Amino acid sequence: MKQQRTLIYFTSIIVMLCFNVSLNAQNDSIPEPTKVNDSLKFKDKYGLRVGVDIAKLARTFASDEYSGFEITADYRLKKNLYIAGEIGIEEKTDENSYLNITTQGTYIKAGIDYNMYENWLNMDNMIYSGFRLGLSSFNHTLNNFTTYSTNQYWAPQFSSNQAQEFDGLTAVWLEVIIGMKAELFNNFYLGLNVQLRGKVTDTEPDNFTNIYIPGFGKTFDSAGIGAGFGYSISYRIPLYKK
Amino acid sequence: MCIVKSMQNKMKYFKYIAMVVIALAICTTISCERDDICPESTPTTPRLIIDFYDVSIQENSKNVFGLVAVGVGNDNVLDGYAIVNTNNIILPLKTDSTATQYIIYKEYTYDDNDTPDDETDDVIGGNPDLITINYSTELVFVSRACGYKTIFNNVTISIEDDGDNWILSRESINDNQSVEDETATHFNLFH
Repeated sequence: MKQQRTLIYFTSIIVMLCFNVSLNAQNDSIPEPTKVNDSLKFKDKYGLRVGVDIAKLARTFASDEYSGFEITADYRLKKNLYIAGEIGIEEKTDENSYLNITTQGTYIKAGIDYNMYENWLNMDNMIYSGFRLGLSSFNHTLNNFTTYSTNQYWAPQFSSNQAQEFDGLTAVWLEVIIGMKAELFNNFYLGLNVQLRGKVTDTEPDNFTNIYIPGFGKTFDSAGIGAGFGYSISYRIPLYKK
Repeated sequence: MCIVKSMQNKMKYFKYIAMVVIALAICTTISCERDDICPESTPTTPRLIIDFYDVSIQENSKNVFGLVAVGVGNDNVLDGYAIVNTNNIILPLKTDSTATQYIIYKEYTYDDNDTPDDETDDVIGGNPDLITINYSTELVFVSRACGYKTIFNNVTISIEDDGDNWILSRESINDNQSVEDETATHFNLFH
């Protein structure tokens, strides 16, 4: 059953792609109409698009353990090429039976987005893919901890409520991003993207580890891989048309 | 006609990609919230490993019969050491203190005089020896799931002289014996 669905899933992708190609081909076969001055020539809007990540805002309101704010921006360089970046601040508390840690920090991400979606007429939507280089500066506060022991003959184990600071930590990572932006109404966009990250380097705190990196997200013991998603509302400040 | 169809198709394509992206985003967020459970196999706070040797021929391992180990200040007998014949013992140490005391019985016997509910007439036989383990503790970070473990440095064992000791001498394996893991014996006791 599952396999069948997977099959339908892939078949529909292939069928859709084929359909598209054939239509393009059909368009090509239409003979060029005699050249007349086209008064209805649509120009692309160029400008700086600025927005906020509403997923982070929603999470800030929904969760006691998280607060974060991110500003996103992109600037159109060419028809399909944008320089893009994000800047943000995050605070997150991670807790399990043995550790309680608060992470605080800021981050900046910069890179490019490439639009792969061919707009029709004057539409201005994007389905894009791009990359980012991310930098984060942060600190951890170990609020409390309890020694881990598999043997509980002498329970409870040692625990400490004395807050311990791990300051001046940094991390660098690379990010691949795919997403879409749709113009809801004039110059207002709604965007959605997913990000896959690979850690390049980070400062390891002494006798501790980076549990969470602002901008990068949760870290894993085994691999320097992270993932995340963004949901943004943005406004393009139109500068010129081309 | 054709151009309208093309547009409809493109919108479909657009919607379709949007759906895939949303699905991906949901998948990533859910799958990334991995359970943080400390695996049993991870070495965490170690216990003290003691081997028993024969006092007369010191390279010979020698069993203790009817051994019982009870922590001083603990109501329970140490798990796995309620009247056993063994040539080694593994003792957990207190992580919130720098000393742990155990009473180790040899040839332990117990007689409740046929009144299991009345503890006053119980007769406990055997030879108890009180050992005190002194050490300093050090916290070592293990992982996000396991947190910190405690390791023990400068570990010493003293045997209280009660006039009838069965544990006659002790010997650490290294100078400045530390207990960092459970891979090897830390102390030998001779009897």
